[in-house]
Amino acid sequence: MNQNSYKIITNNPLVLKKLDKAYDIIFHEISYEEILREVRDRIHEGHRLLSHPLSGSVKPNETPYKSILITKGKEMKLDLKSLELIENAILACGKFHFKTDTYTSETYKDFQLIDWTLLESGLEAADVW
Amino acid sequence: MAKIKVVHYINQFFAQVGGEEKADYPAELRIGEAVGPGLAFAANFKDEAEIIATIVCGDSYFNENLEKAKKDILAMVREQAPDVFIAGPAFNAGRYGVACGTIAAAVQEELGIPAVSGMYVENPGADMFKNQIYMVVTKNNAAGMRDAVSKMAPLALKLAKGETVGASVEEGYMPNGTRVNFFDKKRGSERAVQMLLKKLAGKAFETEYPMPNFDRVEPSPPIKDLSHAKIALVTSGGIVPKGNPDHIESSSASRYGEYDITGVSDLTEDTYETAHGGYDPVYANKDADRVLPVDVLRDLEKEGAIGKLHNLFYTTVGNGTSVASAKAFAAEIAAKLKKDGVDAVILTST
Amino acid sequence: MRLEMGYIYIKDIQFSGESKIEDGTLYVSEESAKAVALEDEKLKSVSFDIARPGESIRITPVKDVIEPRVKVEGRGGIFPGVISKIDTVGEGKTYALKGMAVVTAGKIVGFQEGIIDMTGPGADYTPFSKTLNLVMVCEAVDGIEPHEYEKAVRLAGLRVAVYIGELARTLTPDETKVYETCTLKEGIEKYPELPRVAYVQMLQSQGLLHDTYVYGVDAKRIVPTILNPTEIMDGAIISGNCVSACDKNPTYVHLNNPVVHDLFEQHGKTLNFVGQIITNENVYLAEKQRSSDWTAKLCKILDLDGVIISQEGFGNPDTDLIMNCKKIEAEGIKTVIITDEYAGRDGKSQSLADADAAADAVITGGNANQVVILPKLNKVIGTLDYVTKIAGASEETLRGDGSLEVELQVITGATNETGFNCLSAR
Repeated sequence: MNQNSYKIITNNPLVLKKLDKAYDIIFHEISYEEILREVRDRIHEGHRLLSHPLSGSVKPNETPYKSILITKGKEMKLDLKSLELIENAILACGKFHFKTDTYTSETYKDFQLIDWTLLESGLEAADVW
Repeated sequence: MAKIKVVHYINQFFAQVGGEEKADYPAELRIGEAVGPGLAFAANFKDEAEIIATIVCGDSYFNENLEKAKKDILAMVREQAPDVFIAGPAFNAGRYGVACGTIAAAVQEELGIPAVSGMYVENPGADMFKNQIYMVVTKNNAAGMRDAVSKMAPLALKLAKGETVGASVEEGYMPNGTRVNFFDKKRGSERAVQMLLKKLAGKAFETEYPMPNFDRVEPSPPIKDLSHAKIALVTSGGIVPKGNPDHIESSSASRYGEYDITGVSDLTEDTYETAHGGYDPVYANKDADRVLPVDVLRDLEKEGAIGKLHNLFYTTVGNGTSVASAKAFAAEIAAKLKKDGVDAVILTST
Repeated sequence: MRLEMGYIYIKDIQFSGESKIEDGTLYVSEESAKAVALEDEKLKSVSFDIARPGESIRITPVKDVIEPRVKVEGRGGIFPGVISKIDTVGEGKTYALKGMAVVTAGKIVGFQEGIIDMTGPGADYTPFSKTLNLVMVCEAVDGIEPHEYEKAVRLAGLRVAVYIGELARTLTPDETKVYETCTLKEGIEKYPELPRVAYVQMLQSQGLLHDTYVYGVDAKRIVPTILNPTEIMDGAIISGNCVSACDKNPTYVHLNNPVVHDLFEQHGKTLNFVGQIITNENVYLAEKQRSSDWTAKLCKILDLDGVIISQEGFGNPDTDLIMNCKKIEAEGIKTVIITDEYAGRDGKSQSLADADAAADAVITGGNANQVVILPKLNKVIGTLDYVTKIAGASEETLRGDGSLEVELQVITGATNETGFNCLSAR
């Protein structure tokens, strides 16, 4: 799978810095959960998940950042497994409560970095396909 | 310290009033008395608690006069103002179990008094109420009285004192959908090895986390000749004749309705509506065919595409309705449909 | 393959001019240990401390926990491919210092997790309140990147553990235990009636702070493979994992993997412990598919009757766990899976992020969202600065009286998914 066959949906500004224009990146300044919802909407349109929406063990709402890989092309059929994964991920958001407003800017950078390395490991896999 | 005050609910049989012939015995309050199983509870409580009153009620009476019985018994409990309410144990007695569950749940919900009951897992009252009140697992007959009381009594005292209740497996109540941590005697890996050995040997084992229920139904074979088939409509979308004559609840429905649509070819704003809460009912109320497509099926009936639309439709509200209730409704509805020779059903929801 | 484990029980740790083990007491020369830790120029400083069971001490943020060991006979050395040269380990003779651990702590990222309380309610939940802990807090040179820092601390901990382990090389163990597995053919001949059982271990493998290494190989880059279960006792698997404190596997858990040990307990009695299959938990879904396909394939090749599958971490590994379980069951092989739960603070949410009816035999390490109050302790090793920001800590985390209101997820090892603890849930 090359860069023309997947899309990255992210709210992580570091992803924009790390990847050049050759990548199809949809960047929104929205919450972690809103990223999941955005992905869910696209799954309903016929895209498939390529990376797990709960990648990483940093909890939803603990990290504000999330980057997810989906197929670039739409298929006629809704992928039920993708839908199940994303719906369960959205459900999981409700279980975690964090005091995120007190992070220092350094901590935000750390969260961006972690999200980036999680995405990067997915990209490496995607690019050999 | 003052003793914990307990009110105990039992049926006519355990109160030694009589058997089935006395099942219509109305609710009766016996102040200052511990009766039948109450004596076993009293013995178990030692000096910590006392049964300040026993309520005796016939099983038929309770179930046939549900609203009145509930109201009367709640009034009795309110007046006694106990710290905790105990119903049963009901073992495998179905109507007694349902009565225990119903009244215990009502006492807890409406009076804010913690309640506990106990019965055999297969008692229908268990499934209906185990998620609402602490429901202790008992044997299937009264030979298990001592065991039942030895679990129910300490649990009741904990509830009365507002103490933390442990996990179901420690306290002996039925799993109720709330996960509670506890320290097992063996570490997880050893439990895993033991479980695997049982599984390999084909012996019974109990998973520590039951997967969410996957109640998958095998599809029936397709209908060969639709043009002679009798088709029925069943909905959880709450479509009812205008005014909701059977008062189906807008959420957590406790009943379903059966309505005749002989001669009806269109559901109009003036004749039908939805009882369903939790969604915007405007479009369903304007044209109930949007949820229960009587109009289209009448067309198909005319065209000869289907043999006949069944003259009765069945309806309930899916919103918040428990799986157990839905299953019970479905079993009854299915039996009726079968009896009426219905070949296929179109199920609609909101 | 036959490995003889010699256990040397450590009853106390003390700082001293000279490092040695005498009559069950470990004496540590801070200076020498420091020199070992600071061999890496990326580390600026390290401070050592001792935390004993029952002392009013809180260690945080914990990175790794390691049991010191030394290889006295046989091929290779402890932590092959990482500290010792690459060589296949798991046979011969190895000594382990029981009752103690080397604990690494230090802020690698701003939200570093992991609490070990040596006393109080928190101590009930972490297995490392029961070990004598030699704690090392590492500080990196300025301007270092988090991934370099993580690696530096990871390796410093392993080096110190090996340095301590070496002190036991010439001692006589207090107790000896032999772990021996058969080759395929031997096993079938020796135990024709016993069910053939293996252990499938899933390793966290996703990115910075989420990684595990096998003989030095990043587990993201492995395809599922077979280990002789004694290999882990020599440190074939190490942790590079710093998130999800409650359900990540510190190196200590890899060395003492409870599933391996409990299967050995039954080996030759009620079952034939055939081997250990390791697999990973990658981010990319197609990799999850490949790994679970391979895991099921290996189970089939080994002609297994049953497996125990353990998990590591939160969220996406639930999907790997279910995929492994489903595919192995589909081969007609019975499974028991070990997981933990995130059922919400009230215990009412769906516990796992994935599910399947095939997973009918589940062992749980408990609900990681359960709230626990950790009283103020007299001494903190590391720093509390980040506690209010770690997983499971919320608005009310730091309470007026200095106590902490946190979820179990912040406590190191609390809901371990290899079945290391007694904690469970219903």
